[in-house]
Amino acid sequence: MATVTAAIPPQARAKQLRACLLCSIIQTPSDFRKDGCPNCEELMQMKGSSDRIQVCTTTYFDGVIAVIDPEQSWVARWQRTSKYVRGMYAVRVKGRVPEDVEAELEARGIKYRPRDQTDQD
Amino acid sequence: MADYEDDDVMQHLGSEPQGDFHAPAGHADEEEDYEQDDHAGPSTKEPRRSLYEDDEDEDDDEEEEEEEEEGGAGEGRPKKRTKHRHKKRNAVNRFLDVEAEVDEDEEEDEDEEAYVRDEFIEEGGDGVEDVARRAADHARLDRRDRELDDQDLARIAEDMKKRYTQSAVRYTGDMSEIPQRLLMPSVMDANLWQVRVRPNKERDIVFSLMRKAIDLEYTNRPLQILSAFQRDSLPGMIYVEARSSKQVSEACNGLVGVYPSRGITLVPIEEMASLLQIKKQDLTVTPGSWVRIKRGKYQGDLAQVMDITENGEEVGLKFIPRIDLNPKDDLTVDGKKRKKLGLGTTSLNMRPPQRFFNYEEVVKVYGRKMVSKRNQVYVFQNDTYKDGFIEKDFRLSALQLDDVSPTLDEITRFTKGMDGGENEGAVDLSIIAEASRKAAIAVLQPGDHVEVFEGEQSGAHGVVQSIEGDIVSLTAKGLEIDGTKIEVPARSVRKRFKPGDHVKVMTGKNADETGLVVSVAENVVTFLSDMSMQEVSVFSKDLREAAEVGSGTNIVGNYELHDLVQLDLQTVGVIYKTERDSFRVLDQNGQVRLVQPHQISMRRDSNRAIATDSEGHELRVGDNVKEVDGEGRKGRVIHTHQSHFAFLHNRDIVENGGVFVTRARSLASLAPKGNLMKLGNADLSKMNPAMSGGASGGMVGSGMGRGPRDRLIGVLVVIVKGSTKGHIGTIKDTNGNIARVELHSNNKIIMVDKDKLKRYNPMNKKTEPLESGFSGGLGGGGAGPGRTPQWSQPGGRTPGWGAAQGRTPNPYAGDGKTPAWNASSRTPNPYALDGGKTPAWNASSRTPNPYAQDGGRTPAWNASSRTPNPYAAGGSAGGWGNATPRGAGGWGGATPRQPAWGGATPSRSAGGGWGSGQDSWGENADSWQAAHSAATPAAAPTPANAPTPGLPTYQSVKTPGWDDVTAPTPGASGFDETSNETSFEVPKDWLLDPTLPPKKGMFVKIQGSRGPKPWFKGEKEGLRGVVDIVQQGSDYFASTAMIWFPDSSTDPLTVPVEYLVPVPPERVGNRVMGLDGEHKGETLTTVDVDGDIWNCTAGNTVYHYITGDRLVLLHED
Repeated sequence: MATVTAAIPPQARAKQLRACLLCSIIQTPSDFRKDGCPNCEELMQMKGSSDRIQVCTTTYFDGVIAVIDPEQSWVARWQRTSKYVRGMYAVRVKGRVPEDVEAELEARGIKYRPRDQTDQD
Repeated sequence: MADYEDDDVMQHLGSEPQGDFHAPAGHADEEEDYEQDDHAGPSTKEPRRSLYEDDEDEDDDEEEEEEEEEGGAGEGRPKKRTKHRHKKRNAVNRFLDVEAEVDEDEEEDEDEEAYVRDEFIEEGGDGVEDVARRAADHARLDRRDRELDDQDLARIAEDMKKRYTQSAVRYTGDMSEIPQRLLMPSVMDANLWQVRVRPNKERDIVFSLMRKAIDLEYTNRPLQILSAFQRDSLPGMIYVEARSSKQVSEACNGLVGVYPSRGITLVPIEEMASLLQIKKQDLTVTPGSWVRIKRGKYQGDLAQVMDITENGEEVGLKFIPRIDLNPKDDLTVDGKKRKKLGLGTTSLNMRPPQRFFNYEEVVKVYGRKMVSKRNQVYVFQNDTYKDGFIEKDFRLSALQLDDVSPTLDEITRFTKGMDGGENEGAVDLSIIAEASRKAAIAVLQPGDHVEVFEGEQSGAHGVVQSIEGDIVSLTAKGLEIDGTKIEVPARSVRKRFKPGDHVKVMTGKNADETGLVVSVAENVVTFLSDMSMQEVSVFSKDLREAAEVGSGTNIVGNYELHDLVQLDLQTVGVIYKTERDSFRVLDQNGQVRLVQPHQISMRRDSNRAIATDSEGHELRVGDNVKEVDGEGRKGRVIHTHQSHFAFLHNRDIVENGGVFVTRARSLASLAPKGNLMKLGNADLSKMNPAMSGGASGGMVGSGMGRGPRDRLIGVLVVIVKGSTKGHIGTIKDTNGNIARVELHSNNKIIMVDKDKLKRYNPMNKKTEPLESGFSGGLGGGGAGPGRTPQWSQPGGRTPGWGAAQGRTPNPYAGDGKTPAWNASSRTPNPYALDGGKTPAWNASSRTPNPYAQDGGRTPAWNASSRTPNPYAAGGSAGGWGNATPRGAGGWGGATPRQPAWGGATPSRSAGGGWGSGQDSWGENADSWQAAHSAATPAAAPTPANAPTPGLPTYQSVKTPGWDDVTAPTPGASGFDETSNETSFEVPKDWLLDPTLPPKKGMFVKIQGSRGPKPWFKGEKEGLRGVVDIVQQGSDYFASTAMIWFPDSSTDPLTVPVEYLVPVPPERVGNRVMGLDGEHKGETLTTVDVDGDIWNCTAGNTVYHYITGDRLVLLHED
């Protein structure tokens, strides 16, 4: 288990916990600011930018998953987080990534799947 | 140190490639100097290196050895050291700053030159040739080395790149292409396990599991679970992904708030995905939609969404402000503090009403300074107001998004805006419709007739075939597209009604109202209510076609249609119509009121009320009556009030739902009632206990009056038969053989046969027969204290009874003689114990002539014992024969005559008279009183008063030989129940029994005259005769009876009584007399026979089943 582990928020109840709109990882805003999103920082570029954090993450999420073994876990596969770092993920995240991120995804030919379970195929 | 380093590197540069290269002595010296100078460095380095050495590869070691061999002992060390350096650097170079090394190299170059120069200068005489060669060598080496380094760099860079990309950098979204359904779990995947946890702790526990997994990762017992998750919509449980439940319980072990003991349940594989797909009702808000504010001053207020922030967390709302225009503190202008105080209190205690923002008003109260205006927008107390509305941003979590259902009022206020703004006039109901359109989808059902009102198919209508999510497929009707199937979004259709449809309202204020559609405008349907005959407008979504004519629900709150309710102190009324949340009530004055449930103070029960009708008959609820005057309306009495007003109901009367009120005195019963019920004809004598004894007997006297409370009331019982078997309840009331039992399980009162009940003793969880032992926790029941012991111990042997003596109005006590019952209750055989001392019944039974002794007193109670009154029956049956502990039993024991005979000869008539005696205690108690009064000399002091027929004849019975009487002792047989069933043997001296009325007229048979003591040589054996007179014997004379023989010409004979046996009844219609049991001495008529069981009656409707051997045939005369 040499996988990288995301910062685990110290308090589960904390109101300010935020979930990444793209990969659904849950972190505290300060962790997002310090290290960005451990999975999709390349696109989101939240490191050090509170504004970006505001638009790229949300507090409006439902369900918390502790992904302990992403590669083996079906839950992680179902959530499409099995290639991501270990950590806390949200089951459902409300909202869409900012348009620039969406455009970038499109440019790269990556299908954007919002995490609000609106489209399930 | 830098020098040293450089030197070192140089050394290595020079030495390594060339094995035969030998450093000059000076150089070596220099090296040595460095060593000495820089003691700290190498010495500290040495152990560290050795540490590394241990870790080095074998290659390293080998090389080392080679070096050792090649180099001399003196040079070995530095060489080795440099060698290691280099080697190590190569091995670890990927962890080092490569740039720095490159720099170093460059420095080295310079240094090298310097060094070369130095050397040149130093060793000037060594020859240029050598120097040049060495320089060239160096350069070559350098180049080679640099090449190597370059390769290294490239490799490093590549490595780095590989690693970097692998871990994070590029977002590939490589999993987004896979359709979700292909991600469905397979049997190869680990399972999900549901674990119960403390509600509201789900998330913490999932976090704890994560932390625990990280903590234990490198221990020898790492958590085996793959993941764990929680859903907000599934409180009290988390789901853990693991291969076995053991792994789950290991993971959960030690976590607070996890309840693995409540089961770790496997989630079926097909349900796994849905656990992650659960989503709350989609709570997306769009500008224009309605929400409610959850908290704060505006709690519950309706607001309209204006805009939403990009991440959807905050929404801008517009709603009607609540500005306190009467702040507590009038002087708000100056002090901020004061104002804040005022605001705080108002928001806490009483919130100001909704009111549109009015600049003038606010300025008037708060002052001009408080309100600022910025182009069309007012700012007041940090809030912005526009067009009278307050505009404010709210977090989504502070809003209620679903189930908003704005009411018409709210919408009206909103649309009106301030000062009757733009939308004045007609209220645009479509706004609500829009808001609740989502709800409309939910109410659609297959078969509904809908029309499409927007989109391409607008105007089409048809019948809904199916609904799948938001798509409705319908079969179109009418026009050219008739019969084709079309699919439209559910939000684009609305239910379609046409005038004349009969509809029912499904939801809302008018729910359950039905009526005929009169007009349809867009989605607002107006129909004429069946109930109120008024027009009602509702949204089509709330309607459904319905054939039924709804009267609505008949129950509102606690009140029901046709309930008699108390409206105020003076007024009661009957609910004749229930509406959605109110009633129509007809009060006793005939006025109609509309009342709300809270206006009703109570519901009244007139079920037991009795009024008197015009003929003096009693008028009860449920009677069908007719008015004798006025309109002559007929109806069924549903309530009477204060015996004066009667509320009647007649379905044929349209007015007031068929309910009308009238005076009870003006009513006449439609079904004529029996004369008995007529007040004037009521037989008062029946109610008189004193007279009841001599009346027709039976139970007549018992039904009237109030006896003591039924002792069974309040008794804890268990039902042992029937559909409610096993239920435990309390008897609330009894009526004959029926008990009303309130079940503990559901608080219902049911009617149960008493024989299906068993007394339940909660202490030991045992059941006892209903009528038995008031023992256990129930001792005493409702009885007088003095009697208690008697019940609990049916034998009545407890001396406690003696205490009651003083309290009991017992005549015998007054005699100063030992009360008879005392003896009898205490001793199985009172005769043995008390001998001749006990006067009362002992006198009667033992002394040759008890009447001579007791005079006028005896007949009184004897009379009562002999009269066929229920008490006697109940007493003897319950008290002695049955050994039941009833009070009657006690009293049976108390009255002297009872134990002697009643007990000794229990009735065989177990079926009828027995049961009746047993079951209706209260009645017995009544009659007991009656009997008692008759029995006590105090009440009936003279024999003449006692209505027993034939009493005086006692006097004439003076048969001697009574001393021999042995059999009829109460103690021997009276106490046990089985004695009921023992066959009766007529005592030898039965004819001498003083408790039997005159024996004259009894049929007897001569029997036993041929025995060991033959009489008349047995010649007369078998003769059947009639007793004329019985003569009591004495010590000198035998007791004899004069017999005449109606069947033969034989002359009358005097026969010793021991040869005479009673002749049983022969056929139905015989007059007979009971010889035993409760009917002893009664003259009865046989009405039926079944085997040896005769059904007898005393002339009334009470029937007794008596065996033939307990009866003697009487001569017709």
